[in-house]
Amino acid sequence: MGVDVHEEWTDQLSEYLDDELDAAGREAVEQHLRGCADCRAVLNDLKRVVAQAQTIPPSPLQADLWDGVAAGIQGTGRKGAGVDAAHPSTPVPFRRRFTFTVPQLAAAAVVLMAVSAGIAWQIADRSAQRAQSTVAAGGTRTDNGADVTTAPVVALERDTPAGASIVQVAYADAQYDAAVADLEKALKQGRGRLDASTIAIVEHNLQIIDQAIAQAREALSADPANSYLSGHLVEARRRKLDLLRRATALTSDTN
Amino acid sequence: MTLGGETSIQARTGDPDVALAAAGDTSAFERLYRTHVVRIHNLTRRMLGGQEADEVTQDIFVRTWQKLGQFRGESAFSTWLHRLAINVVIERRRSFAIQRERMSDDAAALDGLSVKPARADLTVDMEHAIDQLPPGAREIFVLHDVEGYKHREIAAMLGIATGTSKRQLHRARMLLREYLSGG
Repeated sequence: MGVDVHEEWTDQLSEYLDDELDAAGREAVEQHLRGCADCRAVLNDLKRVVAQAQTIPPSPLQADLWDGVAAGIQGTGRKGAGVDAAHPSTPVPFRRRFTFTVPQLAAAAVVLMAVSAGIAWQIADRSAQRAQSTVAAGGTRTDNGADVTTAPVVALERDTPAGASIVQVAYADAQYDAAVADLEKALKQGRGRLDASTIAIVEHNLQIIDQAIAQAREALSADPANSYLSGHLVEARRRKLDLLRRATALTSDTN
Repeated sequence: MTLGGETSIQARTGDPDVALAAAGDTSAFERLYRTHVVRIHNLTRRMLGGQEADEVTQDIFVRTWQKLGQFRGESAFSTWLHRLAINVVIERRRSFAIQRERMSDDAAALDGLSVKPARADLTVDMEHAIDQLPPGAREIFVLHDVEGYKHREIAAMLGIATGTSKRQLHRARMLLREYLSGG
């Protein structure tokens, strides 16, 4: 389209379009446009881009986020300024919500639980296997018979196995790495018992969590004293551990 | 918040739910949430991408609840909420110390968008195309062309020069032009 040839002019077309040029600049651009079909075409394209941007209809939510908001505002005490002034940038931990199609029933059980924040416990390698017994066989129903497509996240999270030996993990120590390694190994061994869509979703979410961990680590290296970043890193690692634990449990359910 | 204060806010905003929520009525706040959540979520998703949109949207509404006591009704509640939402989004980005890199004029970042759109649905095309923009350009494109902010306002919000905002906007438009034309 010869844009490179006219770059000095095309670079001004957005400002021309937005009426951001002074009178002399505007006149210069208009003079060029009168003799340059290529730049007129670019200008028309830019007008179409802007017109489309201004008329994008809103996209509906994929999931209702109110429960997370309600959980977040409980106990904040609001009454305003006090809360924010004391902690102006402290994020409230939330539960992520995801929407799944019917063919992803089994995957939903994994992902809904895996991305929910606030689980401060992890089940060590042996315990993970014992946890498998608490999720109903078939992978689409919980041990209390609730359909995972309709059961609230909270209900799923209450399925912590009675009697399982649980340990609290310090997320920066070797115990965490060992637990992750064991669960990854167990998941690898059991992945043949999961359907392809479940595997894809689990791996996709693991990738997201790993990216979050990497970003948090990178940011922390530049700002080691940032408590928010530290908390974010801990939360991301916790999510990874929980996703691995529950995905591993699902491999047993499908036996 | 006194009853007088509630009445005053209601009188200024014309929305009883704002006053009720400011006084601690969570049902009224839920109604406000349901009125505004789609717009806020769309803003958040377009500026940050889909992966963080749900969590950040929830964060925005919790902050809104916390700050409602500071709302004086000097602007429309929707305007106040929208600005608060943008501040939360910007704060989230800055917390990861990536703002500066995303505002880079690095020529390598000007590579064309990689995936050509399906031509059947221009709305979907535009949403998808925006999501593919480099983050810095995307942020300014959304604020300017979708949300209608001026360069000087964007520059103030993001802590950048007006010229940078203009360059990033043009960069975004040119990338979208190429993408949407399938070229």
